[in-house]
Amino acid sequence: MAALVLPAALLVLVLLVAPMAMLFRISLNQYSPTELMIEALSPENYLRAIADPYYQDVLATTMGVALSCTLIALLLGFPAAYWLARMESRWKSLAVILTLFPLLVGNVVRAAGWMALLGRDGAINAGLMGLGLIAEPLTLLYTRGAVILGIVAVVAPYMILTLASVIEAIPRQVEEAAANLGAGPLTGFRRVVLPLALPGVAAGSVLVFILCMNAYATPVLLGGPQFKMMAPAVYDQFVKGTNWPFGAALAFVLLVVTLTLTIAGSALLARRSRRG
Amino acid sequence: MGTLVLEGLARRYGATVAVERVDLDVQDGELVALLGPSGCGKTTTLRMVAGFVPPSAGRVLIGGRDVTRAAPHGRDTGMVFQSYALFPHMSVGQNVAFGLEMRKVGRAERERRVTEALRLVRLEGLADRLPRQLSGGQQQRVALARALVVNPAVFLLDEPLSNLDAKLRAEVRFEIRALQQRLGLTTLFVTHDQEEALTMADRLVVMDRGRVRQIGNAEALYERPADAFVAGFIGRCNLLRGALESPGRFRAAGGATLPCAPGAAPADSVLALRPERVSVETRGEGLPARLLAVTYLGAQTEYHLDLGGTKLLAIRATPAEDDPRRALAPGDAVTVHWSPAEARLLPALPGDLVEEAA
Repeated sequence: MAALVLPAALLVLVLLVAPMAMLFRISLNQYSPTELMIEALSPENYLRAIADPYYQDVLATTMGVALSCTLIALLLGFPAAYWLARMESRWKSLAVILTLFPLLVGNVVRAAGWMALLGRDGAINAGLMGLGLIAEPLTLLYTRGAVILGIVAVVAPYMILTLASVIEAIPRQVEEAAANLGAGPLTGFRRVVLPLALPGVAAGSVLVFILCMNAYATPVLLGGPQFKMMAPAVYDQFVKGTNWPFGAALAFVLLVVTLTLTIAGSALLARRSRRG
Repeated sequence: MGTLVLEGLARRYGATVAVERVDLDVQDGELVALLGPSGCGKTTTLRMVAGFVPPSAGRVLIGGRDVTRAAPHGRDTGMVFQSYALFPHMSVGQNVAFGLEMRKVGRAERERRVTEALRLVRLEGLADRLPRQLSGGQQQRVALARALVVNPAVFLLDEPLSNLDAKLRAEVRFEIRALQQRLGLTTLFVTHDQEEALTMADRLVVMDRGRVRQIGNAEALYERPADAFVAGFIGRCNLLRGALESPGRFRAAGGATLPCAPGAAPADSVLALRPERVSVETRGEGLPARLLAVTYLGAQTEYHLDLGGTKLLAIRATPAEDDPRRALAPGDAVTVHWSPAEARLLPALPGDLVEEAA
């Protein structure tokens, strides 16, 4: 049996562990404008990434956007997931495909669509001005809201499908039993469905939160040059600034923060679901 | 407690009729079983009473109140589900207390009634367990306690014994009946198991393909079945196709002429004759028959007979060892006899499964 996991284990080793180890080694080196990178074992890149107010701000923005997106995806996704899970008609597989539809379009193409919709001369402004509701175009694009909207649209399918698979496993009779004992739909949801769906809430939120923390194309295209999140900041260091050691350190800061928040969040939910 | 009245209750799904029309009066404290093969509409009927399936026509009255349009949580029924449907994330005590909480019963009173209900189903001391830590039989009793504790106007049981093993089933059957009688619960019980229905119910409703075939107590259904379906479904029965030759004489499809109860034969009629009412002798008065097979079943013996081309099953108490009938073997000639009143002419609806029991 152990032999069966060997190919996958090798793949992970070659494609994940090795590059990460190299990246970590690079993050301890020093940057030189002339030689680009000097071998060293110094924590200075990490100290800068943590202490620099600019990068503190970038990290705070990233966490704020990721949390907002996760929360919105959860609130919007739960009713959709419930509806999908309880669907019995022959259209169910079509509904699943439609849920996945946003993922069939690449990030850049999708962002271009949002730009056409939200821009100064975009469809929304043109429509509102055409109706005479506004005189001046609204600033919709290159805002935090635009980024959140764009990311939620990408991550919602992950949330919905994760939740739906967990809700599907909750027997309908259990909900009926709650109703039979006098619980209205809201009480039944709060006391029975939600507690039983908590593992799905945890899994979906973790998955979506990680995706949001590492979003790249959407913040770049919908947030504009002034809006900075961590993944684009890492890219800037590697490609524009050619400062590999600092870029590597930023990448590890992002990794550690994401992991910490993810673990803390799931531990919290796990405790809640145990308490019932 | 109260009464339950179903008036012309029907449910259609598009062109498919799940329940054609059910009229039923369940008296205060009465246990009525809905009995029938799978797909007969019995569960749909129960779910219409609970409020999970909206009826296409008809009314449901609980304690005189029309609840046809009421939501499930406003009906005051206590249901035990086939799968028990316990809340897996709540302890046994929390499961049982749920209905009381919904009814805003105070904490002290709640605890008292939960303890009382668990004692009633002999689960005292298990209040802190989770459902998955209990055996199937214990989970079933938690489901009972959870439905009973709220004192519902109508108690609904959806095949509550089908997930238990045979030995436990007989035990729980007796327990539920005793509990139901002691508490005077007005109960509607769904089952496909005729033995279960016959032993537990005050009255039975036999259903088939969405239609009520007959309502009555066990004896009425067995002795005076309304049609061939009921005769074949309740107990075993010889059901013979043929036509009335003259009053009291029925010519079966196989060729034999058999004595039967006097009276006019309905169109499409069959002759229904219970196998244990057919006596088998080695000689004497009666119709000549040839033995096709003999099956010894301990207390009883089955005789598969051929009456000049018509097959007939007889079931008799196994004869004593010195009785000549004990030695009967396939191929032997015998004479058979029955009281003509036992052979009834019954209507058979088109599509009814009419098969010879032999």
